Formats: sequence, C-alpha cells, structure tokens
Amino acid sequence: MRLVEIEDLHVSFSQHDGLVQAVRGVSFGLDSGESLGIVGESGSGKSVTCAALLRLLREPPAKITAKTLSLSGHSVLGISNRAISTLRGRVAAMVFQDPMTSLDPVFTIGHQIAETILAHRKVTKREALAQAVELLRRVEIKNPGAVTNYYPHQLSGGMLQRAMIAMALSCEPDVLIADEPTTALDVTIQAQILQLIKDIQAETGMGLIMITHDLGVIAETVDRVVVMYGGKVMETGPVEAIFSAPLHPYTRALLNSVPGQTAGKQRLVEIAGSSPNPSHPPAGCPFHPRCPLAVAECRQTAPPLETKAAGRQAACIRVAAEMVAA
Amino acid sequence: MTGFIIRRTLSMLVTFIVVSIVIFLMMHSIPGGPFDGNEMPLPDNIRDRLMAQLGLDQPLYVQYLRYMWGALHFDFGVPYQSPGETVMGLVAHAWVPSLVLGGSGIIIGAPIGILLGMAAALNRNSWIDYVASALATLGLTIPVFVTSTLLILVFAVWLHWLPASGWGEPKRWILPILAYAAVPLATYARYARSAMLDTLNKPFVTVLRAKGLSERRIIFQHVLRNSAIPMVTVFLPMFVGIATGSIFVEAMFRVPGLGAYFVSSIEKRDYPLEMALMLLISMLFCISYLLSDILYALLNPRIRVDGSRR
Repeated sequence: MRLVEIEDLHVSFSQHDGLVQAVRGVSFGLDSGESLGIVGESGSGKSVTCAALLRLLREPPAKITAKTLSLSGHSVLGISNRAISTLRGRVAAMVFQDPMTSLDPVFTIGHQIAETILAHRKVTKREALAQAVELLRRVEIKNPGAVTNYYPHQLSGGMLQRAMIAMALSCEPDVLIADEPTTALDVTIQAQILQLIKDIQAETGMGLIMITHDLGVIAETVDRVVVMYGGKVMETGPVEAIFSAPLHPYTRALLNSVPGQTAGKQRLVEIAGSSPNPSHPPAGCPFHPRCPLAVAECRQTAPPLETKAAGRQAACIRVAAEMVAA
Repeated sequence: MTGFIIRRTLSMLVTFIVVSIVIFLMMHSIPGGPFDGNEMPLPDNIRDRLMAQLGLDQPLYVQYLRYMWGALHFDFGVPYQSPGETVMGLVAHAWVPSLVLGGSGIIIGAPIGILLGMAAALNRNSWIDYVASALATLGLTIPVFVTSTLLILVFAVWLHWLPASGWGEPKRWILPILAYAAVPLATYARYARSAMLDTLNKPFVTVLRAKGLSERRIIFQHVLRNSAIPMVTVFLPMFVGIATGSIFVEAMFRVPGLGAYFVSSIEKRDYPLEMALMLLISMLFCISYLLSDILYALLNPRIRVDGSRR
C-alpha cells in the first residue's frame, strides 16, 4: 500500500468571472520511506495538489475530483470533516511556508504542540506538554522547556519553523508534506532546516513530499522528482537522472535558468514568455507557447505522461526524437 | 503588568484633569447665565446678589478650583433647576432608569449581535450572512426614534400587548429596552463578523486544520480568542453610551432618566449639574479605556509591554 496515491486529480476554483483550473489531471504516488520533490513555478499547481490531498481547500469555491486520492489507503474524497481531521496530523502532517504567520499568536508554542497531540492521542495535558518539550529538543531547539512557554512573537523565523516541524512530527505521521518550508527564511537558516528535515526522515523512515520552486532544495533533499507546469505533471524521475539528463523541454529550460552554473558574469537565462493563464489554459501541451521544439501536434493534443526510460516518465511527444538527436 | 496598570492609571488621571478644565471653560464660554431668562427678567441688583451667592462673580479659575475641591469630596453642589436636592441626589435617582435601560440594552443586544456576526462569518455568502448583514445595516441606519415609534405602533397600539410609555413596573421597561438594544446589536454583529472573517483568513487557521483539530475547537478556542482582541476596544466604551445614548429612547418612552438633564442643564446654564454630568461621562470613558487596555493586554501577548512573561 502506498502512502500517497493520486490518480487523475483535478482541482478548479469557481470565481465570479469563470473557472480557474489549478490542477488538470495529476497522478503520482509516494512509497513508504521515499522522499519526493514537487517542483514548479508559482501557479503550476504544486501547492494546490498537496492542499487537496489534505482537503485543506475551501469547497466551494474549490472543486476536487480524482479517480484516486488517498493517504495510507484511506480515501480522502467524499468523507466527513470529522473523518478527514483524524487523518490530518496523524497520517499526514504539513509544514508551511511562512512560520511567522503559521502559529496562533495568542497561545504559547507548548500549548500549540500539546493540543495537536491531544487531538489524536489519549494522553493527559501534562503528558502532552512533556512530549512537546521532547519534540522541541529533537528539532534542536536550545532550552526547550522555556521555549514551550514562549509566544510565537518571541521567537525568530528559524526557531518558529523548527517548532512547526516539531508540531508536525508530534503524532509520528506516515507522511510529512513540506510546502516551501525554507522560502521565508534566511539563506543561512535554510540549509539547517533542510538538514533537519532530512535527518528526521532518515531516522523515522516516514515519507516526505517537498514542494518547492528551488531546484537546489530538491537536489539536496529528495530521491524522486515530479516536475509540474500549468497544472500538469511534465516529467518524473530519480533526482540524479532529472538533473543530469532532463527529458522534457520545460525541465531543461528550468535547469538552464538556474544562476551560477558557469563561472563569470553572464546574463541570467530565462524562459521566454510567461506561465499559462489558469482561467484559459492553452490547448494541447501547456508548455507549447514557450517551447523551442513545439510542432503543430503539440498545439492540438496534450501529450500523456509516458514511460520514456526505466523509472522515468515525461509528457512530451518530442522527447524520443530529440533524445536520439542529442 | 502592574507597572503597566499604574502607568495607564496615572496618564488617565492627567487626561481627566485636562478634560475637566476644557469642559469647564467651554461651559462658561457659552454666552448668558442662569438668571438671564427673558420671560421674567430679574432686576440687576437682585441678579448680582444671586450670582455672588452662588460664587459666579469670582474669577473662573477660582470657580473651577472650588468646584473640583467639592467634587473631590463628592459635593457637586445644588442644581439651579431643582434647588430642593443636591446634584448627587438628582443623579442618583435619575440615573437608575438610564442604567437599567442601557445596561439591559447592551446585555441583550451585544451577545445576540456577536452570535449573529459569528453565524454570518461562519456561513459567509450564504443566506444567513445576507440576512444578518441586512439586519445590522438596518439597526445602524434607522434612527432610534423611528424604531421606537414602530415598536409603540405594533406592540402598544395594534397588539395592545405592552404599555406605550412610562417607567414604573417592569413590563413598561420592555419596549424602551428593545429600542435601545438595536444599536449595540447591530454594531456588534458588524464588528463580530469582520473580526471573525479577518481571523478565519489568517494562515494559522489552515495550520490548525492541517494538525487535525476539530472545526469546533478551531472556532471556539482559536478564532474566537483572536477575534475578541479587536472587539474589546469597542465593547467597553459602548457602556458609556448608557449615560448618553439613551436620550432619544428616554424621550420617546417618557422614561424619567438622566438623558433629559443633559439638554436642560445646558439650556438653563445649570453649571453644577452640567459639570457633574460631564465629569461623570469623562470618568466613565477614562475607566472604560483603562479597562479595555488591560483586557487587551491580557488577551494579546504581543502587547504585554513590560515583557514580564519573557
């Protein structure tokens, strides 16, 4: 049984001026102990996919449909609020982008960790608080006993993100979903937080989904990558393969635009054009208006995600021909 | 926290003294005096003697200091319009109906308003939200004398359920209290709705859901507590309205409250009563702001200024 199973997920938001299609037929899975990175630019649907997995979107305006959408074998579609809340935090826990706004400002850190434990386990408040201290110690917070009595405004961003991770780990989830966990932090702190997440994953063997637009973060933390664009999966494969020999033209363009690969001053390479408008996505492959290899067929039908090599899939009709040429 | 309360109390006293001076000067800067009535003009010598008797011939600062010295000893003088009693005595008996009226109005109006606002926020863009918002807008925009007239028309004239006016026995209290409750109800519905919506849209609410807390716990523990912070600032000062806001309601229902004296004391240049009423309002405002600040600090850990919890 896979920890996460997503098959043909569609998420749309109805707005007064029409339907915004944020996710258009995404499928992927996560095995136990595996770490998966979802990479893509803003609006690619990567965060919405994971929010849909925990049913964190307000429905309506959001509308979620899928063939399969499940966490550790429990389908999350069509179940009650109560049923989903027993899965959240226990089966899958989440760490969010901005730790400064992710905690309730009027309760102490200890209270907020303890209430998570109390929501899922039959323990006393005192035991839950004692566990909170242990969890803070585990995420390498100095003086964890005192920190449990601190309010969020008394801690730095890095400390708060550690506390958020401690909170996410509090019920030993099968899957940890980290949605841009280092984007709001200083560069020096970013590496520490990533290392912490990696260490904890190695130690507990939980599954990890790391959502990011930062290819550096992906390279450092995950085994397998899902590249998303325009609400669809463009390419998936092992991280080394994706970085050394990207299949999809979008992945290639993305890797080309990472600054500082070659020495010396040079103009930053960018992908020409802009991301598709989710209210009116282009027909055919979402990347075709910006793709240097696009042919007439790309404009008409969206290519399916196909296995192109062992463990590697891409949604592009030009891949095979192009790979031979290269 | 103690230091914070002491500092706030001292600054409140300074404010109070400044306000009392301003009020005193403004009161005396209105032209005319208590014995300048036109219907029965007094001879000049008699008027001067009366003025001297009441100390009104003295320089203003002497009058002010005398009055405030008396006020410190709870002696606010004798009202010119009712020389048979003291200002204290008059306020003591006239304030009771105003307090009952305003107090019940707030006690009934505020909780219903808060519940209405909460229901609207939790069901935003549904019919509950639209009905609650419409009620709140009506409550704030229809003048209280129109509401009062409607209440009298329906419950007294048409249905004969309740007496149209007067005070005395409790069944006469119902209509004026209902009329009074409309404004706090509407104000609270609007504040509660916007404060709740504001909190519900905060990222930490999504985090609370992602932790697996029940919706009920999220709303009642986290969202309510956070929404209460902005609401505290409007709640207490509204109590001061008990002394002032019921002037119209009292007039419409002929309630023998304090309201009418605000107007008559200014009209008749009844300086002792006017000053006493103004001091009462200023004092209530000062105290309500002090209490709001303390409550605000208790609810909101970010502004416990002395950092004693650190």
